[in-house]
Amino acid sequence: MSVVSDLPTRRPGGPTMAQRRSRLREISSRHRSWSILIGMIVVGAALPVLAEIPPFTLAQPANAWIDGFTNAGVFVMLALGLNLVVGVAGLLDLGYAAFFAIGAYTYAYVASPFGNSILGIDILGALGGPEKAGIIFWPMLLVGAGVAALFGILLGAPTLRLRGDYLAIVTLGFGEIVPIVFLNSDALTNGTNGIGGLARPALPIVGGFSGIDPWLYYLTMLGLVTVIMMFCYRLIESRIGRAWEAIREDELAAAANGINTVVAKLMAFALGASTAGIAGVFNASKLVTVSPDQFGFVVSFTILAMVVLGGMGNFWGVAVGAFVIYTINNVLLKVLNQFFDQTGFPILKDIDFIQLQFLLYGLALVAMMLLRPEGLFPNSRRKRELHTAITEPEQDELGTAEATTEEGQR
Amino acid sequence: MKFARVGVALAAAAIVVTACGGSGGGAGKALKIGISLPLSGSALASAGPADKGARLAIKEFTLAGYTVAPDVKDHAVNGVHDPQQGAKDMTAFAADPTVVAVVGPFNSSVAKVQIPISNEAGLLQCSPANTNPDLTKGDAGKQLRAKQPDKINYVRVATTDDIQGPAVAQYGYQTLGLKKVAIIDDTETYGKGIADAFAAEWTKLGGTVVGREGAPKGTTDYTAILTKFKDSAPEAVFYGGVTSTGGGLVRKQMPQAGLGDLVYLGGDGIQDGPGTTDGSFINIAGEAAANSFSSVAAIAEYPGKADFDKKYQAEYGEAPGAYSASGYACAQIVLKAITTAAGKGDITRESVRAAATDTATTFDTVLGPVKFDAVGDTNQKIISLYKVDLTAAGGKGDWIFDSQVNYGN
Amino acid sequence: MTAVPATNDAGRARSGAGLRPLLRLLVPVAIVVAAWLYMGPEQFVNAMTRGAIYALIALGYTMVYGIIELINFAHGDMFMVGSFVSLSFLTRLGFSGAITNVGLLAVVIVATFVFSMVVMGLIGVLIERFAYKPLRRAPRLAPLITAIGVSFILQNVVQLFYGPFQTNSPKIFPDTWFLQFAGARIPILSLFIICVAFGMMVALQLFIGRTRLGRSMRATAADRDAAALMGVNINRTIAITFLIGSALAGAAGVVNGLQYGVSRFDDGFQAGLKAFTAAVLGGIGNTVGAALGGFIIGFIEVAAVVAGYGRWGPAIVFGTLVIVLVFRPAGLLGQQLGERA
Repeated sequence: MSVVSDLPTRRPGGPTMAQRRSRLREISSRHRSWSILIGMIVVGAALPVLAEIPPFTLAQPANAWIDGFTNAGVFVMLALGLNLVVGVAGLLDLGYAAFFAIGAYTYAYVASPFGNSILGIDILGALGGPEKAGIIFWPMLLVGAGVAALFGILLGAPTLRLRGDYLAIVTLGFGEIVPIVFLNSDALTNGTNGIGGLARPALPIVGGFSGIDPWLYYLTMLGLVTVIMMFCYRLIESRIGRAWEAIREDELAAAANGINTVVAKLMAFALGASTAGIAGVFNASKLVTVSPDQFGFVVSFTILAMVVLGGMGNFWGVAVGAFVIYTINNVLLKVLNQFFDQTGFPILKDIDFIQLQFLLYGLALVAMMLLRPEGLFPNSRRKRELHTAITEPEQDELGTAEATTEEGQR
Repeated sequence: MKFARVGVALAAAAIVVTACGGSGGGAGKALKIGISLPLSGSALASAGPADKGARLAIKEFTLAGYTVAPDVKDHAVNGVHDPQQGAKDMTAFAADPTVVAVVGPFNSSVAKVQIPISNEAGLLQCSPANTNPDLTKGDAGKQLRAKQPDKINYVRVATTDDIQGPAVAQYGYQTLGLKKVAIIDDTETYGKGIADAFAAEWTKLGGTVVGREGAPKGTTDYTAILTKFKDSAPEAVFYGGVTSTGGGLVRKQMPQAGLGDLVYLGGDGIQDGPGTTDGSFINIAGEAAANSFSSVAAIAEYPGKADFDKKYQAEYGEAPGAYSASGYACAQIVLKAITTAAGKGDITRESVRAAATDTATTFDTVLGPVKFDAVGDTNQKIISLYKVDLTAAGGKGDWIFDSQVNYGN
Repeated sequence: MTAVPATNDAGRARSGAGLRPLLRLLVPVAIVVAAWLYMGPEQFVNAMTRGAIYALIALGYTMVYGIIELINFAHGDMFMVGSFVSLSFLTRLGFSGAITNVGLLAVVIVATFVFSMVVMGLIGVLIERFAYKPLRRAPRLAPLITAIGVSFILQNVVQLFYGPFQTNSPKIFPDTWFLQFAGARIPILSLFIICVAFGMMVALQLFIGRTRLGRSMRATAADRDAAALMGVNINRTIAITFLIGSALAGAAGVVNGLQYGVSRFDDGFQAGLKAFTAAVLGGIGNTVGAALGGFIIGFIEVAAVVAGYGRWGPAIVFGTLVIVLVFRPAGLLGQQLGERA
């Protein structure tokens, strides 16, 4: 495996191409927010068009595609948030779905009759019934983010002093505890039945969102992903972002250089959690019901895999990774099944691709780590680090490169 | 918003074009009946037969001027029913104008996310297996129908747990003469619901509930719970849940804890075929399954049973499962509604929905005559009780019909 | 304050010797007596049996972590595969019910343990060779993610072969054998399982402490590079660690089948999670700690049921873990060290 370098002279396309590319990159990094906005508009407009053209329309109706894209968007948000924690700050969080759950339940308390009766405030009634009350969705995005961030700090404060691996297990435990608490606190959460009858979002002129016409949800999702993406890029280019990267590379050195590592780690945890909170509010408003079984460990692990496959540290990569994995899992495999069933293709028609999905998933994860650990769309700096570390000859047990890069990862 | 609407129109046009292109032969207007069930992983064992039953009914159906085909969507993710995927599938059905009705879902948690969507789309939905009362009744039911509260679009052929649970309690208390019972549930919607209903009725009848525990799916060790029960000397253990979440395992571990002689009671969740079926209650519990009783929220001795069994066997080469006839019946109801709608004029979602939920209509199904009440629940409130006979099914054991009780009017 | 430089890495994985020895003896004894009095002999045995299984699995976690600092997520699934290996072995031999002939029972049980442990040990070595070894010099997260991938693969391969439902494991040990003890009914099977677990733990301690291979394992855990310079074959040592850890998971699988009589493809997740918690609780990298942690978790779960909080069991387990880690970040028996530089 050769070291892929970003040096223009090595590129086969010739210098002009490379120069154009680097110019583009320079412009896009100088006007980061604009380029994100433009990128999202292009993607957001292209997806519905894709959904209308033949190979895609054969699989399912366009509206179903749009709805699927919206669900994928939820995972994109989650993956972006987890990327802040895992990819940028290097803190392994295995219970990320807990914050997703907290965001969802926060919305449920405010936007459902059951939740209102627990709170003792008739919020829905005060806003003029469930149809109009959907307006509360918009401020609730912030509230959900805030509540999730609060829990992130509560969990993080005692545990972030621990070594990385201990953090992983504590977050894993937290991810298990949260659904159990929602499940068993019957009086407060309606237990296993969950909370239903949530108000769908509403806008002043457009009116209420619809469960069958996914467009408003789709546009909202695009907006949220855009904002989160801009926010993430702003963050990593800020002082705190540099601090996170420094901690990821070498916590000791970061601390020695005057970074308050506990505060920086708490910030990463809280901001990552708040993103999951937003995704939770959005998802709850879309499903109009929340129940403990929506937030199991499978969700946490799926998001982690998305971050890894997309390329840790690179927000665009992670977003694309999340989107692609979700679509493969939830659409492509089912379509493959239908297609081979209908055409009666020998051998392939007897294979249940859906049953195989987690097998394929597992194979992809292993293959990815062995062959391309930087992910499908790596962050350039991260890629260099990874490849120096890996291509270092194994026999060289005391190699200097290893001493500087690999040890830094610990 | 304009471009969104245009998009929808375009989508609709594209679908109509492809749909017409697809039906090709000119056999008539193409209609689809969606089937929304969890059909992979551990969910397949119980929901698969319902799917096969429904498809069999659709296959047999003919209506001049129309072709009706099933559109099967599996919402199992990682082998377990997934509400989010169920919601997405329902949105896909709603977006496809050729889909006029849906058979499904299987699990109450999926129904909770699907009903708001199908209600908004005015799309008829018939569940072969949902038994949770909250899906239709009271405020909880109304909340699910928030968009079009007056248009009932969800019906089901299984009667609810608030009838099934008490029926088992009455059987245990009155027929078997038991007084003290200990209860375990699997902490899931169905299991906890039926266990609560059972416990309430048991106390009302004058019995004592001497222990109540919950153990989630994935528990392998019930010895601590059973040992705890032993101290309070129950005469029976009631399990609220399904075999795959622990129904068989609890029974299997009872002899080891010294509770092997107790009566074991359960709902339709543990009634999943003979000991020859892999992973069924009797298969898991083995010899410990003796002296176990369960209920099914459906008529057992339905008139067309022998005939149906033969047809099903001929089509799939296997005996029907617990919900095969229910799936078949659901499809029959939907198809009858389509026929009625065709007789009155055009087949639209609304005309099919109205025909199916008309409280005056009696549907002649494989389960017998079925009528729906004002919220879409079946009037066939018949609970059948079964007992394990270990000598049946070639010595592997099977559920033998014991009695049925009619709670209808 | 978070990052206290490690002064000396050597002996990191071993327990903190000389750490208030009297207290270390008295506290466990007091806890055991209290548990016995609180829950009674039957529940005490239930807790020990459950704890024995967690402990056997936790040993594999802790050994692998001790030597290559990898949270081997697939280890719980190795336990699951082990239970399927043993049930297939027994089914193939034609056993389905209880064997009442003591001699035959002993032979069959020994054969099952040997078969399952050998097969699982080999599978473990193969997985290490092809999935983890190439990533030995990669950043932390890479092997961890690989382990998650391996876990998915193991689960789904088993699901392909055995189906998504529970599969019966022949209960060859008669349910009718039990001891009457002070009015309590103690199954012989439980006593047998506890003895097997203790026997394996003692054997493991002797192996690690007294043999040449054990010494090279300790050396590799303490400082891989220095061990290599001293002539330890690192690759072989790591392979042996996986062999032993996986064989113990295989043994836990056999025990699981004997005790509960059923296996399913997803059994490994919950068991693995609890066993991993046990390893962390005891101080990860420390074999005695892992065993202790396993029993503690067994006791916590059973005590939760006895106290009427059975539904909260997992929450209490993980809650305890969080509390222990906050006050004693390296676990109960782990050496208190800061972040490794």
